[in-house]
Amino acid sequence: MKRISRRAILRGAAGAAIALPWLEAMWPRKARAAVTPKRFIVMFSPNGTLPTQWTPTGAETNFTLSPILMPLAPHQGDLLIVEGLLQEGGGGDGHQNGIGGMLTGSPLNPGPFAGVGAPPAGWATGPSIDQRVAQALAAPTPFQSLEFGVQVGAADNWGRMIYRAANQPLPPTDDPAQVYTSVFSDLHTDPVALAHLRARRKSILDAVGGEYTRIGSQLGSADKQRLDAHLTAVREIETRLTTSLVDNNPACHDPTVTTVATQANDSFPAVGALQMDLLTMALACDLTRVASMQWSRSVSQVRFTWLNIPDGHHDLSHRSDTDSDAVNKLTRINIWYAQQMADLIARLKNMPDGAGGTLFDNTLILWSNELAKGNTHSRQDAPYVLAGNAGGGLRTGRFVSYEGQGLPHNNMMVSLLNALDIPDTTFGKADWCTGPLIGLL
Amino acid sequence: MLMKLTRFATRSALVAATALALGACGGKGSGSGTTTQAAPLCAADPGPAPLRRITRFEFGRTIADLTGVDPSVAQTLPPDEETLDFDDIAAAYSVSSLHAGRYLEVAEQAAATLTANVTGMTVLAGCDPTGGDAACVSAFVAAFGRRAWRRALTDDEQAAMLQLYAETADPKPTDGLAGVVATMLQAPQFLYRPEPGIAGAGAPQPVDGYGLATRLSYLLTGAGPDETLLAAAEAGTLATETGLLTQTDRLLNDPRAADLFVHFASEWWEIEPLATMDKDESLYPAWTDSTPAALAKETTLFLSDAWKNGPTLASLLTAPVTFADTALASYYGLPAPSGDGYQRIALDRTRAAGMLTQGSFLAVHAKANQTSPVLRGKFVRAQLLCTPPPPPPPSIVVSPPVVDPRLPTRQRFAQHTADAFCASCHTLMDPIGFAFENYDPIGRWRDTDADVPVDATGTLTGTDVDGDLNGIPSLAAKLAVSAEVGTCAATQWFRYAFGRSEQTSGDLCAISALASTLTGPGGDFKQMVRQTVRMAAFRNLPPEAP
Repeated sequence: MKRISRRAILRGAAGAAIALPWLEAMWPRKARAAVTPKRFIVMFSPNGTLPTQWTPTGAETNFTLSPILMPLAPHQGDLLIVEGLLQEGGGGDGHQNGIGGMLTGSPLNPGPFAGVGAPPAGWATGPSIDQRVAQALAAPTPFQSLEFGVQVGAADNWGRMIYRAANQPLPPTDDPAQVYTSVFSDLHTDPVALAHLRARRKSILDAVGGEYTRIGSQLGSADKQRLDAHLTAVREIETRLTTSLVDNNPACHDPTVTTVATQANDSFPAVGALQMDLLTMALACDLTRVASMQWSRSVSQVRFTWLNIPDGHHDLSHRSDTDSDAVNKLTRINIWYAQQMADLIARLKNMPDGAGGTLFDNTLILWSNELAKGNTHSRQDAPYVLAGNAGGGLRTGRFVSYEGQGLPHNNMMVSLLNALDIPDTTFGKADWCTGPLIGLL
Repeated sequence: MLMKLTRFATRSALVAATALALGACGGKGSGSGTTTQAAPLCAADPGPAPLRRITRFEFGRTIADLTGVDPSVAQTLPPDEETLDFDDIAAAYSVSSLHAGRYLEVAEQAAATLTANVTGMTVLAGCDPTGGDAACVSAFVAAFGRRAWRRALTDDEQAAMLQLYAETADPKPTDGLAGVVATMLQAPQFLYRPEPGIAGAGAPQPVDGYGLATRLSYLLTGAGPDETLLAAAEAGTLATETGLLTQTDRLLNDPRAADLFVHFASEWWEIEPLATMDKDESLYPAWTDSTPAALAKETTLFLSDAWKNGPTLASLLTAPVTFADTALASYYGLPAPSGDGYQRIALDRTRAAGMLTQGSFLAVHAKANQTSPVLRGKFVRAQLLCTPPPPPPPSIVVSPPVVDPRLPTRQRFAQHTADAFCASCHTLMDPIGFAFENYDPIGRWRDTDADVPVDATGTLTGTDVDGDLNGIPSLAAKLAVSAEVGTCAATQWFRYAFGRSEQTSGDLCAISALASTLTGPGGDFKQMVRQTVRMAAFRNLPPEAP
C-alpha cells in the first residue's frame, strides 16, 4: 500500500483545497476553525524558590523584574505575576502536600507513601485545575490533555501533580520518543490503515471493557473500584478513537524527535527542549488544548552541571538563607527555569494558530512550584507567574501582590477558570476557597 | 488505606482472632512432620487480601511466556508505584489512560508475535486455527485463555471472545485470533489477580486451586502458572499442604526462582535507583555511563550465586566474594580475573562483606560528590533492623555539609553530634555509617579521605548485637547473628510476598514463623520461601467484609 504522509495531506489540503476522499472519511469535516479555541498550560519547577530573588518590585503596571524572573523580560507585557497567596495543601510531608495541593487545591488522602515527619499519605483528594479545564472545555480533540515531563522519577505522590479525579493521578511521560509514538502516530500512519486500525481497536476495547464489568461484579466494593478506575481509562482511549482529527493549521506537521538518553542528568535541558517542541506541535495540530510540563519532581536532586553546579538541587534548597554559595546557586537554577518558561512562551508566539494569529494569543500558562521556600517548606507567598491573556480573559503586564491578606491560592484557581470562560465559583477543598481572587482578572 | 481493602476482617473479628492466631502459631518453624491434612499456619487470621495487579516486571515475563514477545516490551509501561521499597504493594497502584493505552499497544504487539507463529498456535490449540475452522478457533480461544487468564474460561467468557473473533477476523482469520489475544492480554483476568470469594463468608475460606497456582507461580517465577501447575490445580492436589509443597519444591529448583530472589533482594537493598544514578565525574572520573550496568550485573551475579549455593542471611551479609570482568576488576583496583567475562572472585575478608560491600549498594547509598554516613546508617536501621529513625522535624533547616576537600567526611558531619538536638537522632545513624567510610561514593575501597587515613570506627546501639565497629566486616558479623535482623528480613519478605504491609496479629504470627525458617538451624531464604506457602495468608482468603 502506498504510504502517504500526513504532512503531504495537510499541504495538499491547505494549498490546493484538494478533496481527498479517505481524508474525509477519516476526519469528518467540522467547523472548528471558526472558533479559536482557548488553551491552558501548566509548568512546574521544584523545591521552592528564593523570595528575595524572585519577587518583582514596583507598582502593579510599572514593575521591575527580579533577578530570577529577568529571562522573561522580552515577554514582560504578557505576564501577570501573582504574589502573597498561601498555596494550600495537606496530608503527608511538605513536598508531598506541596505538589499534591499545588494544582488540586486539595489535601492528600492517607495512604502508603511514608514522608518525612508526617503520617503516610496517598493521592490527592480532587482533580487538578488543568483537568477541570479539560473537562469544562470538552474539546473535540483526540486528547483531553497531555502530560509532559522531564526526569519525573518514581511513581509516587512526590512526583504527581496532575489528577483526573480523587485518587487518580495522571503520570507524565518523560520520554519524548514515547510521546511521539503515542500522540503523533496518526500523523504518520496511512489514513486507510488508520481507519481500519481504529475500527479494530474499538471492537477490542469494547470487549476489554466488558471483561472489567464482568470481573468487577464478582469482587468486593474496594476491589471493584480499582477495576472501575481502569475501565474509565479504557473508555477514554475508546473516545479518542472515535474523535476525528481535524485541523486547518498548515503549521501542523509530523515533528522530529532526536535520540537522547532521557534519564541522564546532563540530558535534562535537551529532553526538556524536545518536550516543549512536542507540546507546541500538539497544540498546533489541535491534538489537545490542555497540557502540562513537569520539570523533575518535588525533592528534585537534578544537578545543574551545565551551569557548573555539581550539587543536588534539593540539597541546595535546604541550605541557610545566609549561605551565599547556596543562594547564588539557587538563584541561577531558578533563572534557568525562568528561561525555560520564556522559551515556552517564545515557541507559542512563533507558532501560527491557523486562524491568522499565534498559539500564544488564546493561551494561558501557569508556572508554579510546590513550595514558596525550600529550606522552610513554607507555602506562604507561593510564586506564580501567569503568561498570556487567554484571548482577552485577563489583563497582563502586571504584578499583583496579595501579601498579608491571608488568601488561599484556590481563589486564584477560580479566577483562572473564569478567565477561560468557565463560570465556576469555587475550586478544590471547599474550606480553602472563598471565591474568585478579587482584582486578578 | 485499610478501609480500601476488600476482605479486611472487622475490628471485632480481629480482636477475637488474636488469641487463636497466636495459639495456632505455637508450632511455628517445625518445618517437618507435615501431613496431607496439615492446616495452614496462623490459621485464625489470614490477614487482608487486596486485589493485586501484575507488576511491570511480572508483566514482561508473563507476556513473553504466552506469546514469545521480548519481555522488554514491559519497559514502555509507566513504572510501578513503589512503596515500602517494593513494586508490588497493592495499596499504591493506579491506572491512567496513558497507562491503559500502553497496555493496548503492547498487547497488540504481543498478539502479532504470537499469531505469526503458526506452529506455536497449532501446538496450543491442537489444530491449526489460522484457516478459520470454527471448532479449531474455539479450541484456540479456550487453550490460550486458560494460560493467559490462569484458569478455564467460563461459558460466557468463551462466547464473548468468539464474538470478538467474528468482529475482528477481517480480512483474515489470523486478524481475529490476534484480536482475541490482544483483548485477553488487557483484561482484568490477565492484568490483575482477581480471587472472587464466597459472598458473605463469615470465616476464612480456602483459595481455590487456580488461585493457589497463580499465587505460587508469581511468588516463585514472577510469571503465570505453567502447564504442570495448572494441571495440579485442576487435579485438586494443591488443596493439601503436601501437594502444594511438591509444586513449591519443583519451582524452587527452577532457574526462574533465582531471578525472583534477585528481584526481591534488589528492592529490599534499594539497588534500583542505580540505573539512573549519576556521580560527580569531575571528582570520580572512573564513574562512566557504563558503570551502573556493570555494578548491577555484579550484584545480580552475586545474588544468583548465593541463591544457588544456600542463601543464608549470613552469606548475604558477610560472604567475601563478588563477580567482575576485567573492566570492573580494574574499576575496583582488583587483579583481573582469569577467564573471560564475569568471574567469581574471592575478596579480602577484612574488607569485604556480602551485599554490604557491593559497589551498587554503596553507590546508591551515597551522594554524587561525597559518601553519606547518614544514608548508609539509615539503611541499616530501616531496611535491616526495621527500626527506621524518626525523620528530621519539619522546623529545622537541613544543611548537608558542603564538600570541603580539606576535611574528611566524618569531620564534616561533626555538627550532628556536637549539637544535642541533632544528636538525638543522628547518633542512631552516623556511628553506623562511619563504619562504611573505607568505601568512596562510587563503591571503591579507599585508605584515605581528604589525605587523612580513613577512620572507620563506629558503634552500634539499641540492638541485640550492640558494640564497637571498625569497618564493614565488623558490622556484618554482628548483623549476621542478630535475631532482630532475621525478623526484619522476614518482614521484608512478607511485604513483598503478600504485596502489603503487616497489619494484623495473624501477620505478626506469619512473620515470626517465616523468621524461624530463615535463621533457625539449616535455615535460609529458600526454606523461608517454602514456609510461606504453608501460611494461612497464602492458602486462605479472609472472611468477606460484611
